[in-house]
Formats: sequence, C-alpha cells, structure tokens
Amino acid sequence: MSAMLLNKDKWPEFVGKLAGKKLWAPQADGDAVHFAPVADGEVPTLDFRNTRVPPKQAVFPQTETMYRFQLGTEEMELPELNEETILLGVRPCDARAMTIVEKLFRWDIDDPYYLKRRELVTLVGLACNEPGLNCFCPSVGGGPASTEGLDLLMVDLGDSYLLEAVTAKGEALIAETKEILDEAGADSAKEKDRIISEAENKIIRTVDTEGVPAGLPGLWEDPLWQRVSAACLGCGTCTYLCPTCHCFDIQDETEGFEARRCRMWDSCMFEEYTLHTSGHNPRPARRERTRNRINHKYSYYVDKFDVIACVGCGRCSNLCPVNIDIIEILRQVKEAL
Amino acid sequence: MDLEQLRKTAAEIVDRDDVKYLIGWKQGSFGYRVAPSFVEDAAGAAELIFSPLCTANLATYLTLVEKLPVPRGQEADDRKVALMVKGCDSRAVVQLLVEKGIHRDQVIVVGCPCPGMVDPALLAENYPETEEPAELKWNGDGFLLIRGGEEIKVARDELLAEKCRLCRYPNPVISDISLGEAVEPWEPVEDSGVIEIEGKDIDGRSDYWEEQFAKCVRCYSCRNVCPLCYCQDCILDRLNPTWVNRAVNFSENTAFHIARAFHLAGRCIECGECERVCPANIPLGRLNRKLAREVRDKYGFEPGVDPEAEPFQASFKPDDPEDFIL
Repeated sequence: MSAMLLNKDKWPEFVGKLAGKKLWAPQADGDAVHFAPVADGEVPTLDFRNTRVPPKQAVFPQTETMYRFQLGTEEMELPELNEETILLGVRPCDARAMTIVEKLFRWDIDDPYYLKRRELVTLVGLACNEPGLNCFCPSVGGGPASTEGLDLLMVDLGDSYLLEAVTAKGEALIAETKEILDEAGADSAKEKDRIISEAENKIIRTVDTEGVPAGLPGLWEDPLWQRVSAACLGCGTCTYLCPTCHCFDIQDETEGFEARRCRMWDSCMFEEYTLHTSGHNPRPARRERTRNRINHKYSYYVDKFDVIACVGCGRCSNLCPVNIDIIEILRQVKEAL
Repeated sequence: MDLEQLRKTAAEIVDRDDVKYLIGWKQGSFGYRVAPSFVEDAAGAAELIFSPLCTANLATYLTLVEKLPVPRGQEADDRKVALMVKGCDSRAVVQLLVEKGIHRDQVIVVGCPCPGMVDPALLAENYPETEEPAELKWNGDGFLLIRGGEEIKVARDELLAEKCRLCRYPNPVISDISLGEAVEPWEPVEDSGVIEIEGKDIDGRSDYWEEQFAKCVRCYSCRNVCPLCYCQDCILDRLNPTWVNRAVNFSENTAFHIARAFHLAGRCIECGECERVCPANIPLGRLNRKLAREVRDKYGFEPGVDPEAEPFQASFKPDDPEDFIL
C-alpha cells in the first residue's frame, strides 16, 4: 500500500486530473450537505461533517430503471450502466455500509444493478478528524479512519492530505495523479495516527452490542417497544437516510405505450410496506415496525451475514423529527436483556 | 410557565379514570432535543417541560394513533386523551373538530400560552449542540441557554423560529385547562419568504420549486407530521390507480407536493412542522402559507379558529368573489 501526500494548494489540480470521470462530492445546501455531481471546472471543498443523504444513492439509486419496454410487445431494453464515477469525500462509515449491503446483493443471486454500479464507482474516503455528536462507529466495528469499502483513504493533516491506496482502483488513482503528489514520510504516518486517535477520543456516544443480536428476539413482547415507538411518526427519514437500509419495491410505470420496470427505495417504517392484499398487516402499528427496524439491523442481519447492519453514522438519531434515538433504544434493549 | 404547576396539573389529569394518557414534551436524549412524551402516571408527569424548544405540534398524535382490531372479549379503550397545545397547535385541534376528525369529548386540551419557539437549526448553528442535554428558557425579551453549567443570554430576534415571527395566535384558541398567563400577541413580520417567491416571474418560480422539489427523498415526514394530513387512505399510497408514481424525480415529487398543498388549502394552520422535519430542507412553509394567504385574502377564511365553522372546502357563499374565474 503506497502512501502519498497531496498539498492542499494542489487540490484544484488534483480534482482537475480526475475530471475524465464523473465526479461526485459533498455540496452544501443551507445546513444540509448532499452528494451531487461536480460541475465542469468546479472544485469541491471538503469542509463538511457528513452528508444528510448517504452516498448509497450512487450504487443504489432511489429510483433504478431495471428495463424499459413497450406495452403489447415482448421486447425489453436494458439500461446501459457504464459510466465510471468517483465519489470524493466518502466518510468511512458510509463506505463500510456498502460492504455490508453488498453481502445482501450477492446473497441468493448476484444483483446485476448493484454490483455493476459498485464496480463502476471509486470511493475516495475522507477520515473523520471531527466526528459528529451522534457518531458511534467504533461501537459497531468501524472507526474514523476505517478503510473497509474504500478504494483510497485521505486523511486531513492540516496543510496536506495523506493519501493511502486501499485497492487497485486506489493505486491507479494515485498513479494518475502521481506528478502532483509527494512521497509521505514516517512523520506523516505518525501525524495521521495522532489525529485519528484524537478523533476516536472525540466520539462520546457508545452502544454496547454484546449479547444484543442473540438476545433481541427474546424481547419480542417487551414493553420497551411500545415506549420507544410511541412518538414515531411512521415517516421514512431514519431508513431513507440510513447508509445500510436497502429495502426496495418494484413497480411498473407507464406513459402511453412506453413503460419501464423500476425499483425504488422502500421503508419498513411505512404502513403499506407489509400490507397484504387481503388487508391484513402483520406489522400493524409503529411498535411492530420500530421493533423490526432494530431487529433487522442488530439481529436478523447478524444471523444471516455475520455483521451488524448499522455503521454508527448517527443520521437516524440526528434527523428523527421526534428524537427517536437508536443509541437510546439500544441502551434500553441492553437493559432489558 | 411554572413547571411545577404544569407537572402537578398533568399528574392530576392522568390520575383520572377517564383519561388514557397526556401527550406533552420532555427533555430529549441529547443536546437541544425535545421528545414527545406519552404520560400515564405521576412519574411521567414529573418529566414534562414547556420551553422554547417545544416546537413539535403534538396534535398530530390525535389522529396518528393506530386503531387496531380489539381482541375478542376485550373492549376498545376509548378513554380521553389530554394534549398540551401552543397557540398554533390549538388551531390544529380546532380544525380537526371542524372536520370531525376527532370528537370534542375525546380530548382534553391543555393550553400553553406561547411566547415563541426557537428555530432548532438556527440554534444548533449558532450554539453547537453538545451531547449533554441543554436547557433553554424564556428570559425577559429573549432566551436563556443553559449548557454545560454555562448560562448564555440570547436575543429573541437571533433565534425566533420563522413561524413564530409570523404568528398571530400565540395563545391557544381552545383549551379546557389553561396553564399560565396569556401572552401579549406581537406584531407579525411580513412574510418575506412568500413575498420573495411572489416577486419572481413564472419561470423564476418554476425554477425555484424545481430546485427545491428535486431534493425531495419522499420520506413523507412532512405528510406524517402534519396534524391535518390524516386521511386513512392517502392518494400517495394508492397503487390502483397510481395517482403519484413511486419514482423519485422532479415531476412526481412536484405532483406530491402540489397535491398536498392543495389538500391543505384553507386547512393548514401554519404550525410549520412540515418545514421543520424535512431532511432535505425544502421550504414547504412557503408553499402552504401562500395558499393560506390566498384563502384569507380571497375568501376572508381563517381555518382553525372557530370550532363551529364550516370546513372551507365544503362551504359555499353566493357572494364569493370568484374573480379568478374567467
């Protein structure tokens, strides 16, 4: 693994060298930040904590056309997926989430859409010097400089970024920009370690997951679920903004004779999510839906794929309109075990 | 407001045999957060607060609660629900009564005269949120922020929420039990948000909303938080026929937001919750306030102030101006 230094003065030049591919970077909109395509000639700044909507949308778009067809014919047209994209400034939690979700999309069948997009995207990570208030990535197996899922990790050292290639794609990116990079010395590595350990110390909130995956099903009828879900509005904020939530619905949409089959994000917090055509709903209330959300992340997924489907990014706690806080829920779960 | 009085009153209410629970606000799990609280006993009542952070309009829970089938041999729990309301929230209760969405004898309205709420996003921007729960109080003409042992005086204008700057009803318009003294209403400011958009030409408006609606992720938090979006069968959830496609794009998102805005015309009581909860920062308040203003200016109708009023969209007056009909 090669480590290089990029002086911040050369950041515009670095971005310019990547311009052959489609670039996405975090962009501010009021107090929110979103991943959005970078316009030609524009130089994104990496001054942000984390984006509201996670970069999962680059590999798992909210609406994905699976194929197009004409009503009354049997012909269908598959979408072409061939645009290589570089995501600049992906936080380690969000990249790690992609490796977790990928397990599902490789499970019974290989999902061509997800895997193709994953192949086409290069994730340039940015370690977290200043973790957010509700970050708890170390509690669930991550860290402010975790490289899982990333192709390249950048660490902000003040005047420069330390670039560490993680995969062959990352190596290639370094090779492409080599002429404006400098070799990183031992002192840079030391500085990185100092910054990252400082960042780790800034993470205040924690979750104790020991015994949770095995114990959760035993709490099925526990009064805690009523307590933690009483205020739930049943909206999709927690799930849509979650980097590991991956549920989708498939629908056909027509306009005249033109039609397409597409899949779009769905949320287990919506009433219609489990509504049967008979009118029966096995998860009739927000209590059951909240219970499912926590069980899926902290128990079912662990059972099936041996990893907790939560990366501790804190978005659900930050953005829930009624302060339903996953850290608090897990504290109550732990207490009830 | 005297918190002791609030907690004592709440404890008395939930002690009654005919009351299921009281819905109020309590300190949230971190920072400036305040959480809705469903109080069933004295211990729960002791956690209640009323502060400039109690922005959430709890009236939405009157209709949000699921009515599950009652198991054989059991009777439905139709005890009353007590609800803490600010001025704006109380208008939602009145509008629900007008529409017969709730019955008067099902609700005990606990009125809280409101000197104005802060804008939580602005607060967090100016005074970064810390893990430790912080307290905010009304303090003379402004606010007092108590955070980590430190007391910070903040001017009212610095943090007052937009909906409160525009507020015309700080005192509850309906209440069974009133807590604290009525507040002196203040002069509402001009609605600069709506005026800004009215000042644009058609293309400008279209561009503005295109940019806004393109950000929508269709989490429906605006619809779900809205105390007056309570249709059991929402057109957005309908699949047959599909009025609004599930695809998330400008066109479908626009259909969603316009449909919602129209369904709220003459019903929206301007509590600003839709805008507060939007994770995509879409200024939905501007849209709904524009329609509220049209209804006010053109028909002299103000929703949510008179429980005996006829619903606006179900009423007709022979002398309606109708000057927009060619």
